[in-house]
Amino acid sequence: MAKKQVRYEALVKALHADLYRYGYWLCHDKHVAEDLVQETFLRAWRALDSLKDEKAAKSWLITILRRENARRFERKRFDMSEYEEATIADVKATSSEQEIENYWLRGKIAQMPEEYREPLVLQVIGGFSGEEIAGILSLNKNTVMTRLFRARNQLKEAVDDEPKLRGLHNG
Amino acid sequence: MDDLKFRRSMLAEPNYRDDAVNAAIKSDSAKQKFLQELDTLENKIEQAMHIPVPEDLANKLILRQTFASHQQQKRKTRVRLSMAASVALVMGLTVNFMMFSSTYKNLGDYAIAHVNYEASHFSNNDQPRVTLASLNKKMAKFKGSFDSTFGSLIFADYCRFDGSKSLHLVFQGQSSPVNIFILPDDEDIKFIANFANDKLQGRSLNFNHSNIILVGDKKEPIKQWQERVSDHITWSI
Repeated sequence: MAKKQVRYEALVKALHADLYRYGYWLCHDKHVAEDLVQETFLRAWRALDSLKDEKAAKSWLITILRRENARRFERKRFDMSEYEEATIADVKATSSEQEIENYWLRGKIAQMPEEYREPLVLQVIGGFSGEEIAGILSLNKNTVMTRLFRARNQLKEAVDDEPKLRGLHNG
Repeated sequence: MDDLKFRRSMLAEPNYRDDAVNAAIKSDSAKQKFLQELDTLENKIEQAMHIPVPEDLANKLILRQTFASHQQQKRKTRVRLSMAASVALVMGLTVNFMMFSSTYKNLGDYAIAHVNYEASHFSNNDQPRVTLASLNKKMAKFKGSFDSTFGSLIFADYCRFDGSKSLHLVFQGQSSPVNIFILPDDEDIKFIANFANDKLQGRSLNFNHSNIILVGDKKEPIKQWQERVSDHITWSI
């Protein structure tokens, strides 16, 4: 029992941040993301004995979290379907140039189609390879690579256009 | 590797390197510049995606699990307790069943076992010492009475033998005591009219609520005893 507890705490400490971020990019809501992570870890605790390979822990947890997220939509089909920029935390007032830049790019990431964003989040935050992402999302690898290309390409174009846009906003 | 393919592959997986990619980078400064830009973009994306995580989230997760598994533990304890209770109940029932159910399948077996068990307590030379009045007082429990003792009654008392309460009468016989049992009708024990083993013989009489069993040795005129009992007993309602 104590050993299981130690395993669990190690798992939480090592992976909760990535899982929270992944959850956030799935649902765009800090509180919902937190709930998702909590549910995920509770389920993980119950099934912890079935986790034999610690290396697989991350993708295992992500799979649980995706299922939890899907369940959320089964429960209530309303809201969360359209992204609103207002739901992203406003950091403008108190923060540096860098944070404003982040904030702007977060908006762009959030506006991306789900099917492009999710592989990108898995790649950047999760550090998974194309093959591993294909496994998690049950897609074939070519599809994943195409989506990754499109996702990054969209962001690149947005960033390349940025000064012009920001210029317009500022004045 | 042509430019388009290179760009596609790098945009899909910026950190991917193999010989073809490395060669392409080395040979083309435009590709190097593209990679530099891509690196900057990647940094930006990474920073943007790493949204701040609530500071106390890890602790919250551990706390919640602690409570959840505590609840689980309590449930487990309850389950274990109820299982222990069930086992105790079953054991109780088994013991009860073994103690109070009949080991003997029919009246003959029962009576012979009873006689053998208590044979040492009685001798044919014991003086008669039970009066008709005290016999009938005991018979009242079985709703019967005798109008005479029809023999020398050595002993009359209730016996609990193998779970059934019976009235045990011992008469002086020709060479050894004659045992008469009056016991309530018991569904578990089969009525059997005549029985014997190598030394003893017996007969049973079935009345409304009771069985009367007579057991004596082989020389004893048991049939005569049986007639005497039938002649002298009366049953009340």
